[in-house]
Amino acid sequence: MVEEKENVSANGEQVSKKGAKKAAKAAKKAEQKAESAAAASAGNDGEAGDNAVDHAQGRYGLSEMIQSKDKRSERVFVTVPELVNHVDKGLVWVRGRVHTSRAKGKQCFLILRQQSSTIQCILAVNDIISKQMVKFTGNIPKESIIDIQAKPVSVPNKIESCTEQTVELCVEQVFVISQAKPQLPLQIEDASRPENPDDAEGLNIRVNQDTRLDNRVLDLRTPANQAIFRLEAGVCRLFRDILTEKGFTEIHTPKIISAASEGGANVFTVSYFKDSAYLAQSPQLYKQMAIAADFDKVFTVGAVFRAEDSNTHRHLTEFVGLDLEMAFKYHYHEVLHTIGNTFTAIFKGLRDQYSREIEAVGQQYKVEPFKFLEPPLILQFAEGVAMLRGAGVETGDEEDLSTPNEKLLGRLVKAKYDTDFYILDKFPLAIRPFYTMPDPNNPIYSNSYDMFMRGEEILSGAQRIHDPEYLIERAKHHGIDTTKIAAYIESFRYGCPPHAGGGIGMERVVMLYLGLDNIRKTSMFPRDPKRLTP
Amino acid sequence: MYELKTLLPQFEIKLPTCMYDLKNVSLTGSPSTGAGISSSSSLIKKIQSLPQQQNASGKSYSSSSATCALDLDILGRQIQQLLKANNGKDTSAVVARQDKVLLQLEDLKAQLGKIRAGLGLCGKTIQHTTGYQNGGLKEVPLEDIVINGHPNFIPYALLALKNAWRDLYTIDIKTFTHSTMADIGPAAREFEQNLAKVPINESLPKINVTLIWKNCEHTEMISSPTMYVPIYGEVNIIRYLGRVGPAEYRYEGSPVCNEIDLVLDICYQLLRCTTHKSQVAMVRLLEKRLQKQQYFGGSQMSVADIGVYSSLIRMPAITDKDLTPALVAWRKRAKLVTKI
Repeated sequence: MVEEKENVSANGEQVSKKGAKKAAKAAKKAEQKAESAAAASAGNDGEAGDNAVDHAQGRYGLSEMIQSKDKRSERVFVTVPELVNHVDKGLVWVRGRVHTSRAKGKQCFLILRQQSSTIQCILAVNDIISKQMVKFTGNIPKESIIDIQAKPVSVPNKIESCTEQTVELCVEQVFVISQAKPQLPLQIEDASRPENPDDAEGLNIRVNQDTRLDNRVLDLRTPANQAIFRLEAGVCRLFRDILTEKGFTEIHTPKIISAASEGGANVFTVSYFKDSAYLAQSPQLYKQMAIAADFDKVFTVGAVFRAEDSNTHRHLTEFVGLDLEMAFKYHYHEVLHTIGNTFTAIFKGLRDQYSREIEAVGQQYKVEPFKFLEPPLILQFAEGVAMLRGAGVETGDEEDLSTPNEKLLGRLVKAKYDTDFYILDKFPLAIRPFYTMPDPNNPIYSNSYDMFMRGEEILSGAQRIHDPEYLIERAKHHGIDTTKIAAYIESFRYGCPPHAGGGIGMERVVMLYLGLDNIRKTSMFPRDPKRLTP
Repeated sequence: MYELKTLLPQFEIKLPTCMYDLKNVSLTGSPSTGAGISSSSSLIKKIQSLPQQQNASGKSYSSSSATCALDLDILGRQIQQLLKANNGKDTSAVVARQDKVLLQLEDLKAQLGKIRAGLGLCGKTIQHTTGYQNGGLKEVPLEDIVINGHPNFIPYALLALKNAWRDLYTIDIKTFTHSTMADIGPAAREFEQNLAKVPINESLPKINVTLIWKNCEHTEMISSPTMYVPIYGEVNIIRYLGRVGPAEYRYEGSPVCNEIDLVLDICYQLLRCTTHKSQVAMVRLLEKRLQKQQYFGGSQMSVADIGVYSSLIRMPAITDKDLTPALVAWRKRAKLVTKI
């Protein structure tokens, strides 16, 4: 409107003529649309170009917006995977999305999708179904939600394109519940096409990562994404269940904090009334305070923020942290084994309870299944260095593992022990934070450990110093201003049991478990330095 | 003594400037030893001066005889005299010098001891591990080895060796279950427990073994991830351990080497037999090898016995009925060592 006005004021008649033409066109279009919509919804006799009497009237059309008017409890709905059990048992109702629909003369094939399951539906003109109904069904836009009443029948030949390969539905009624725009920003078929770099002949249409993330709602409908996020939920559930069973208590820690919790690097600043505050980059301090407050074993699941401007495949600025902290009696290996066994239990749970999801992801992204050992393999840092040196890599005794070395070591361990998960114990003291307890037997090393999946670090943990005086000494040694961490030190003044712990990033664990190449694939709405939406 | 004309033209030896004189360690800092040296050097001077004296005093010598200045008799007499004169003094000097040297050695030892203590090494002599045990092979630390085994084909030889070498050599076995195995079954679990029962003696030479229960076809052994040359088959793992193990079980230099290898090969065949009939046929072959001997290949327990014994455990179908009395008796003897 504004534009039109401007045009008119600029140079008179010509544009106004154009405008008029435009308006007329739009009006015509709207008219046509309204007409066709009316025709479709009512199923009126006088349909355009088809004068035959529609004997299927009332069996199809656009359903009015569901506003919870009727309960319609007489309609019994069946999920797609269950349809196998309803073969030849009469009519059932199914709600799903139109995956594809194809009308061909007197027949229409429609693939109905419900989450990751698909089933073929067939409409053919007969004494129940009219020609108009077939045409209508063939024109329903992809991704629209429909209700159908149909008869499940078994088929002689397997339907290769669907997950339900032995059953198809003979449709008797079709109602559109929620219509999708006819033009989709990405095709689900493209988004779910297997990544197969070796196959040169196959269709090579892909949807790139940014398009996917911009239209995440559509992208998430692919079978692989459905599986990824169900599995991710599984990781969280198993983490909670396993630790709860081990006697842990779930706690919730604040995400708005007054001071940087870990070292002080890379925190987001937020305005906090007249002052400013930070977003928590680790719940560690609060976990430790819970230990000092006699909770003995705690874990927390929650958002963690890192203001790191790194655009890599494995960094997010916000992710879900699964953290745990545990008091022990005499040796931090009590904790190390607890964490290691928790991981093994999670992996076993995923292997046994989520095999369908793992398979679904595997169909799109070809990756080897995750391998692990039970009990988990624990190597000393020095042993790892020795293995690297054996492979001809020069690395110092007190040097941190560089990313390539980390990957190489992962490959070496895999070649020797055939495991994708292992623990590296006794890291050099020099490369760990100040609160790490030094090794009593060798001043070079510390009571700290990292855990690796497919050669990438997923957890970093240690025995923390629980003695305030020693903590001050270590902080001074690291050149840290003790006044800034006074609150942290203070929390150990009233007696604190020896404790150790660690934390993992949920997205990273899922990514590495499934062997995916990008952490954005395992974050539903990822946040990175370049993305704040959707 | 006389001077010899050098055959070669005279030349001066020019010492390079980068060299310097070393003080004689054993002689420094002691006046008494200094005296010893000077007394002996004075002796040499005296001897050197002898021919001149003779030339000067002796009139019977012609000028031609001056070139042959050595009159052995006179010289001998003179030396005797000189020795007599210096005798008591010299021997005592030598004794003193020896004492001094001994003292210095003591000093050195004490110093070395201090250095060692400073380095934090233990006072005990260092234990030779594999190098010494390897019979003079070059001393390289043994790689930890990984053995992948299927719970249906339990490598009993590991337990047998562990028991047999109880006092000679430590095989430290850690067991893991690979993710490809959902359950390892009761037999493998019992095997794990039995492995854990054998005490680990840290003072003995040792090899670390990681046993992984895995869904794999062969029992295989991997030592180095970079040089990935797996060793397949339980008997071949026995052979490997036989090489790195204690000298008593190393058979390569033994006269019955071929015999032991043959018996191990029969074990390999035995383990591959699927029917009872073929198994019994293999046992017959073993009987032929054993005959009246105490053990396979002689009167000493060897890796061949370990191989046969652990293979027979995996054959529950082979009972004492299938064995000759000699084999049954052997089995009892072997059981005392292998303790399975």
